[in-house]
Amino acid sequence: MAQCTVRAATVFGLEVLPVDVEVDVGAGLPSFAIVGLPDLAVQEARERVRSAVRAAGFDVPNSRIVVNLAPGPVRKHGTGFDLAIALGLLIATKQVSPSVVDGCVVVGELSLDGSIRSVPGMLAYALAARDASRALLGPRGLGVAEELDGLEYRAITHLAQSRSAPIALRASTPYVSSPHERDGADFLDIAGHEQAKRALLIAAAGGHNVLMVGPPGSGKTMLARRLPSILPPLDQKERLETAVIHSIAGLEESDALEGVRPFRAPHHSASIAGLVGGGSPARPGEASLAHNGVLFLDEMPEFGPASLQALRQPLEDGQVTLVRVEGRMRFPTRFSLVGAANPCPCGFRGDRARACTCTPGVAARYLSRIGGPLIDRIDLVFDVDRVDPALLLRESDGLSSSAMRRLVLESRDRASARGLGPTSSLQGTMLLKACQLDGSSARQLEAAARLKHLSGRGVTRLLRVARTVADLDRSSRVTVDHISEALGFRAKEDC
Amino acid sequence: MTALSLARRFELSRDDSGYPSALASTEYAPARLYGIGDPASLVTGFSVVGARKATPYGLQAADLLAGWAARSGYTIVSGGAIGCDQAAHRAALANRGTTVAVLGCGADVVYPRGATELLDAVARNGAVVSEHPWGTPPAKWRFRTRNRLIAGLSAVLLVVEAGLPSGTFATADYALDAGREVLVVPGSIFAPECRGANRLLRQGAQPVTDVSELAAALADALGPVRRDAGAQWTLDGVEPSQDLVLAAVRTSHMRPDDIARALSMDIITVARRIGRLELDGLVVRFPDGRYGPTPPHATR
Repeated sequence: MAQCTVRAATVFGLEVLPVDVEVDVGAGLPSFAIVGLPDLAVQEARERVRSAVRAAGFDVPNSRIVVNLAPGPVRKHGTGFDLAIALGLLIATKQVSPSVVDGCVVVGELSLDGSIRSVPGMLAYALAARDASRALLGPRGLGVAEELDGLEYRAITHLAQSRSAPIALRASTPYVSSPHERDGADFLDIAGHEQAKRALLIAAAGGHNVLMVGPPGSGKTMLARRLPSILPPLDQKERLETAVIHSIAGLEESDALEGVRPFRAPHHSASIAGLVGGGSPARPGEASLAHNGVLFLDEMPEFGPASLQALRQPLEDGQVTLVRVEGRMRFPTRFSLVGAANPCPCGFRGDRARACTCTPGVAARYLSRIGGPLIDRIDLVFDVDRVDPALLLRESDGLSSSAMRRLVLESRDRASARGLGPTSSLQGTMLLKACQLDGSSARQLEAAARLKHLSGRGVTRLLRVARTVADLDRSSRVTVDHISEALGFRAKEDC
Repeated sequence: MTALSLARRFELSRDDSGYPSALASTEYAPARLYGIGDPASLVTGFSVVGARKATPYGLQAADLLAGWAARSGYTIVSGGAIGCDQAAHRAALANRGTTVAVLGCGADVVYPRGATELLDAVARNGAVVSEHPWGTPPAKWRFRTRNRLIAGLSAVLLVVEAGLPSGTFATADYALDAGREVLVVPGSIFAPECRGANRLLRQGAQPVTDVSELAAALADALGPVRRDAGAQWTLDGVEPSQDLVLAAVRTSHMRPDDIARALSMDIITVARRIGRLELDGLVVRFPDGRYGPTPPHATR
């Protein structure tokens, strides 16, 4: 009776659950069975394990092999159990020393020649192993994450290496933060668009969501792409949060670990599950991949109404909760929303050079497709006009991204010194307290609300923006100047 | 399409005494007029027409000039179309005036869609009329002949905004053929939306640059005003502004970026100044994001 248990793990939502891989090699007709709610990919491990074990120069015993994945009720997905099953089999048949897997969580996919591939979520597994005071035994390929503080990592690239136990521990050095910009997109590259740049500066400083309205080719995407360059770099906690989500989704996580904020731009044909998360096994959606970064929705009115409405919960709660038979999973979704829309279906309403071909009714209805509840979460709305070609050839005299980021950081410090939470979520008395309106500016605000028929929500949005403008101005009070500037960013229906 | 049923329907043939006299004198006067509302409102009126895809400038001009004329007691005739036409009807209704809508479909057919409330109000404060029998559906060609009726029902035709080519331009041609006086609101030489209006001026139409000029023309053709509309309508009292931003948006509608560039000012100053002007009610933001001056009668 030869048995062996190897610790592996599986991903459930963003959580990593420990899984014990129990291998039993015993008498009976030769067979190879995997039990414990495996999915198809786990079942196929049998063929990969058989070939890889032979290719590495070991023997597959001609006996009855049973692999049990415990705990039984948890559904197991993917190819990450290959390595644990193979090592369990080799240890149970005494071809490999048990010390290879001592104190380890084993994750990796086998290829038929015995080499080991990485699977999505390696970073998540590594962190879970650290939290359980274990090392991660897995393939090379963690990149920057291998340098994470406190992480014990044993790299194995080929199954044959398991002969020399224990496998060398890679030195873990404290992680040094070095914020850098990968693509080098800078606001300095953009000529004109001064109002749009100002609006994005305010949005970055106050954490506001924005909607850009303008004809095709006016530079909406170009502007949005540069928003991450003026947001503060990710702090240590945010880096890990974002990197883990990216790792589980099978994306490159090194950018996030280096402090670059994610920028996600899903196409408007995206499904609800693709936007907010879902599927089976449930994967994080674009809203979660944009966690701590920017979610850019180009052609916003073209998104399905159901998809847009599904973004309400993530915007309001900063997370999505998916309920499945196996349990609830939470995906964090704290992102800055940047929407872009054409002013009308043809795109040229209000353009100086091209005539709009839409009937006025159609044009007016177009933007309302975005829907009130979502618009209520967007504090700044502004026009992006097509820039005069002559201007494009001139050098921009505006602020560079790094200068803008300094203003953003300074203004965020000011806002957090108030201790009332982020400006973009202030409401009611808290908002009034933060604004410290004096008599005359309160009167002006009242006048504006009456003159422009602003709703209660419209006034709230106006005040939030005015508060951030005042922060950028280093002013503790919101004055008429700040309200005047904020007025220009009110929503279209508040005309 | 829903039917306007609440107000009274009437039919007039050319020999009826109630048949509008101005129309009867034209060669294309229809044999029968179908209408809803008050047939007595079909007195010789003042037509206000303009582009359907109106710019804020055209809408403001229609609002100011039709509003003043309605308040002064003249009957406003227009086509019920979206844009300038509806702005003229609305201005007449807002100033407790009489207004007549001439449709290119049956008078009981609501077209354009969404105009139910407006046409209802027009029928209650004037009439909705058509040369087509009840229930005739809208068709493109009927709207061109409808323009003849608009010209025929009035002694003076005002074009507030017209591009080229346009139905508005055609209406002006009918009006000239019928010997009506044609007035035109001049537009910017840079705006394609104003090409038609400016060409009419070059062809000899009378420009209207203030309410007083309209008053003189209407007094000549239709008799003196029946009510005093008040002094707030005139553009005469508007002083040239020392404020560069206000002066800039008065000359042409602009977005903050354009203003900043034109005046070589930084965007923050311009944004705050324009916001302040808006708070003070001196400028308005249009749906396309441009800013323009608030017309005098809307300031109050």
